[in-house]
Amino acid sequence: MIGPFLRLTLRGMADLRLHPFAQLLTWLAVGMVTLLTGLILLGMHNVNLELLKSRGKVEFQIYWKVGADDAQVEKDWQTVRALNHLVNFKTFTPKTALTELATTLGETGDFSWLAENNPLPYSALAGFAVPPEAQQEGWAADLLTRLKSMPGVDKVNYTPFQADLANGWQTLTHMVVWPVLGFLALVVSLVVHNTIKLSLLTRMDEVEILSLVGASPAYIRWPLLIGGLAQGILGAELGIGLLAVTHSVVADALNFPPFLLQLQFLPVSQILILGGAVTLVSILSSWVAIK
Amino acid sequence: MMVNVERLSYNFGSYWALKDISFTLGKGEFLFLTGHSGAGKTTLLRLLYGALPVNRGRASVAGFQLNNLRKRDIPRLRRKVGVVFQDFKILPERTVFDNVAMALEVRGMPRTHLERRVRAIIRALGLETKSYSLCERLSGGEQQRVAIARSMVANPELILADEPTGNLDVDLTMHLMEIFKQFHTYGTSVIMATHSTEVLECVPGARILHLQDGRIADNNGSDEALGQDRFDENDGESDNDADGEFGEVGL
Repeated sequence: MIGPFLRLTLRGMADLRLHPFAQLLTWLAVGMVTLLTGLILLGMHNVNLELLKSRGKVEFQIYWKVGADDAQVEKDWQTVRALNHLVNFKTFTPKTALTELATTLGETGDFSWLAENNPLPYSALAGFAVPPEAQQEGWAADLLTRLKSMPGVDKVNYTPFQADLANGWQTLTHMVVWPVLGFLALVVSLVVHNTIKLSLLTRMDEVEILSLVGASPAYIRWPLLIGGLAQGILGAELGIGLLAVTHSVVADALNFPPFLLQLQFLPVSQILILGGAVTLVSILSSWVAIK
Repeated sequence: MMVNVERLSYNFGSYWALKDISFTLGKGEFLFLTGHSGAGKTTLLRLLYGALPVNRGRASVAGFQLNNLRKRDIPRLRRKVGVVFQDFKILPERTVFDNVAMALEVRGMPRTHLERRVRAIIRALGLETKSYSLCERLSGGEQQRVAIARSMVANPELILADEPTGNLDVDLTMHLMEIFKQFHTYGTSVIMATHSTEVLECVPGARILHLQDGRIADNNGSDEALGQDRFDENDGESDNDADGEFGEVGL
């Protein structure tokens, strides 16, 4: 059982030599589509990485109630300082806040007349840098809730721009990525399908004779399926190889101020999915071609 | 019964290639199909090896009912039937050995056994010096012998031959007919379409089914006793020995 199976598999591989030019063009086409898909994935992967980094940087403006107890405020500050991923924490007493305000406003900011009856509350600026791996769903809202729940806190403001941008990007990529990948899969399937069909047409005599001497459909189709599989594997390898070369060339293309961005290569899981998907599409299109 | 055809008809659109054909062929019988071009000989042979569907009438070959023959049964039927085509149907870019071996490879025969059988049939047909020549470099007669070798190499129960000697000279025709006769003697049933009276004379006592415009015009094999006698003679030894050497039948 293994013998004929192996022999047919080897024949399928050997048959790739029968139409070398057509096979070469298919190999290149599959490789190019894989490269194009890989480049799209690479771009999205790096944008995602950057957004995850910037999305983790959040700054909160915390205001305590006017006239809050000094000891309570000090205790709240200690609580904030103990929070994870805090990178900067600047506190303001009503007095320092008034000074800061006056400094900011310059010559027009003389608020010394308010010193005895300062209306400003205790406040603070708390900056967090949450790494991507710690960004569970709703982490920013949880942090906000936690800050708001401190006893002396009146209100907390923050700019949700970065988080919204990241969420928007994710929604966009989900909307765009599947149609794009589907289109590229269609291109691969058409290219491989046509090559296998061509191979089949040029071997009609052989197929007919095999059928007439009693070959089963599986016996006839297996070598052709192997041809499609080989095209998928070789094309995926070519595309991924070219992607690696392209990456090595452009990895530092944006690594200068103000970007300082080093492009990361796709993770192994995504490479395997890319190669597997191209191979699977090739096999399926071969199957359709010989049906 | 190797072949049983009852009221078989076949049409290509409005043209009826076969009309109400009935005949039987016992195990080990030799039947010639004669008739002018377009009489329906090739159509009948194509129906018998499952290349055309049997829709009108009934037919069975080597135990397979051809009416509503399932797709997966077609390869099984064809492994019991060797077919020789008028246009050879060999692969010109492959060697003689490869073309003949094809019929055994599809059966999954082990390589060593396969090589022995292929060499034996190639030798029997006088092609041993051409074993590894590409078929495209052979003469028409040699190519026809390759096609015949392929049809016989698996010791089929039935050989269907469509003008197998049409491209051969008289000497070679006689030689090949001897080989067909030897296979027939061994128990293989043969249906051969031919125009040649020389070929008809090569197998004395063979039945002749003459077709005219898709109908049987003459069936001199209606003498069932002839077929039955042959069947009885071969009974018990007519099963093809797939492992046998061709030397056993004088090849």
